Amino acid sequence: MQNVSQIQSIYMTAVIVLIAIGLYCIISKRELLKIVIGIEILTSAVNLNIIIMGLGDSGVDVLAQSMVVISMGIGACIAAVALVLVVDVFRHYRTTDVRKLRRLRW
Amino acid sequence: MVQLVMYPVIVLLASAASMPIVKILEEKLKFKRLKEMLATFSLALCLILLLTLHEQVLREGHLESYLPGFSLPFGVQLYVDELSIYMAIIFCGIGLLAAIFSYRYMEVDTGLDKYYGLLLTLTSGMIGVAFAGDLFNLYVFWELMCISSYSLVSFRKYRWEAVEAGFKYLTMSTIGSLISLYGISLIYGCFKTLNMRDIALRLSYAQNMFERSNVLPLHLAVVFIICGFAVTAALVPFHTWLPDAHPAAPASISAMLSGVVIKTGIYAMSRILFTSFSSVPIGSASSTHPVPIIDYGLVLIVLGVLTITIANIMVIQQKDLKRFLAFSSIVNMGYIAFGFGIAAYLLYHYPGQYHAFKLAATAASGAIMHILNHAIGKSLLFLYSGCIVHEAKTRDISKIEGIGRKMPITGISSSIGLFHLAGIPPLAGFWSKFLIIWGGLGFLEDTFLVGSTVIIVLNSVYAAGYYVWLVQRIMLNKPSTVVEKVHEAPTNMVMPVVILSTVCICLTVLLPWLIPIIEKATLALLMGG
Repeated sequence: MQNVSQIQSIYMTAVIVLIAIGLYCIISKRELLKIVIGIEILTSAVNLNIIIMGLGDSGVDVLAQSMVVISMGIGACIAAVALVLVVDVFRHYRTTDVRKLRRLRW
Repeated sequence: MVQLVMYPVIVLLASAASMPIVKILEEKLKFKRLKEMLATFSLALCLILLLTLHEQVLREGHLESYLPGFSLPFGVQLYVDELSIYMAIIFCGIGLLAAIFSYRYMEVDTGLDKYYGLLLTLTSGMIGVAFAGDLFNLYVFWELMCISSYSLVSFRKYRWEAVEAGFKYLTMSTIGSLISLYGISLIYGCFKTLNMRDIALRLSYAQNMFERSNVLPLHLAVVFIICGFAVTAALVPFHTWLPDAHPAAPASISAMLSGVVIKTGIYAMSRILFTSFSSVPIGSASSTHPVPIIDYGLVLIVLGVLTITIANIMVIQQKDLKRFLAFSSIVNMGYIAFGFGIAAYLLYHYPGQYHAFKLAATAASGAIMHILNHAIGKSLLFLYSGCIVHEAKTRDISKIEGIGRKMPITGISSSIGLFHLAGIPPLAGFWSKFLIIWGGLGFLEDTFLVGSTVIIVLNSVYAAGYYVWLVQRIMLNKPSTVVEKVHEAPTNMVMPVVILSTVCICLTVLLPWLIPIIEKATLALLMGG
């Protein structure tokens, strides 16, 4: 039991670091594709957290595993829609620099 | 008969999936309107199913249904009580009207099979969120709804506005849902279960062990869930996507987004918080109702006051009609969050007092009624803005002055909607705000509660001012040069607007019948289902 909670705390730290990297990537990068990559890093971090939360003495819980499989599918759908939008942005603006997407007011 | 619960979602998803086949059939049969008819038919069928379910729920109490193969705490569960069926009927009704409106409004666009398919998946996702009994099921339906709405916002991808707003919406809303999924995973780590009622049960057993609300992961989970769902519910400071995304979408989709999709955010938030994070305290004989274990009511009140004040300042500066309406949606989401916040605050700070419970029920029923009122009023106004764009080809408020004189039927209907949202006394929009404020003024010795309610009252008066100002611009001013040539919109577009304004008046007349339904929905929320 001691062992499991140790592993959990190590991986939870890793998850928090990954979330920080993902958010930093989304906030600071100016390239649309990098923002999409940031979203993907966030998705993976959260999926990892679900797996870690399901960790018990006898391996990972079935519920956690099935959740992560579905969640990965959803993440792929979001990435697909995001990449389609990036392509459309490129068609309109001839660039994927997020600073050029300033035509909408606040 | 248990499986009846699943039919509404299955009907919509099946007809969404058959859209490509219908498109091929249309080309073969040379019959133009097949997909529109299929969409309208399945939404109407779904509405009828939901109304039968509503009858059954009112008669027999809650219904539940789960997929065979897993035992209950682990299986996928759909749980329908009075509140979820109430929300689902609103979602489906607005979806049906949006589909009717799209007949003529969308006829200039191509790819309509995808449009109607996405509209159906959007509606089924929202109904699924309302019916979900466990947290992960809720998340899956949530993403079904979100992905459809991203695609629908950027449906007219030949316009830069739609693409840019769509990408902004996608980025912000995805971060929000991932944050709430992180919160859900923390809850899963604490309890090893995702069923909302099961979580509440385990909390009430574990309460003496936890020393009442002294657990860090649970606090973090509540914070993440509030922040995550507040992005879709457009509470300030998470609102910045809304004024871009809603005007960029086609008018029928703006009506869906502003009318019901943002309500799903506040519904999911309050459903998780009130159902899972409240438990009946063991050992105190005086209290029979669940008490929140964490003071999330305070957070909701602060968010609500902030939302209403900031959005009210922003509304008046808008020159674009659809942006004006989008900001006023944010204001109204503030009211709903404030109502739920007052309920949770009163239950947390005055546990076991019958007077406090009564006031909390008043405020929560005001919020639930405001969901209905705002859904109807705001979809009416967005559909009306669609009529204006269809006829006058502009959304600038200064250019469409006096357009109500040229389009009398829609003009009068939209004035009714504007008065309804402004809260002019006999209309139903007044009574929901009144109930929320009444709940907030119950404990005069609680200065925080009274102070925030006073801010809300001042904001309401201010909001009524700018709605009446808009009525004056649209209906009474002299027609400008742009609107000289316009005439009434096509019948298919006028009909949903007129239906919605009739519903506005009917709500007022039918209040004695509506109040018991809302009362039951409130009790379903506050008593933990």
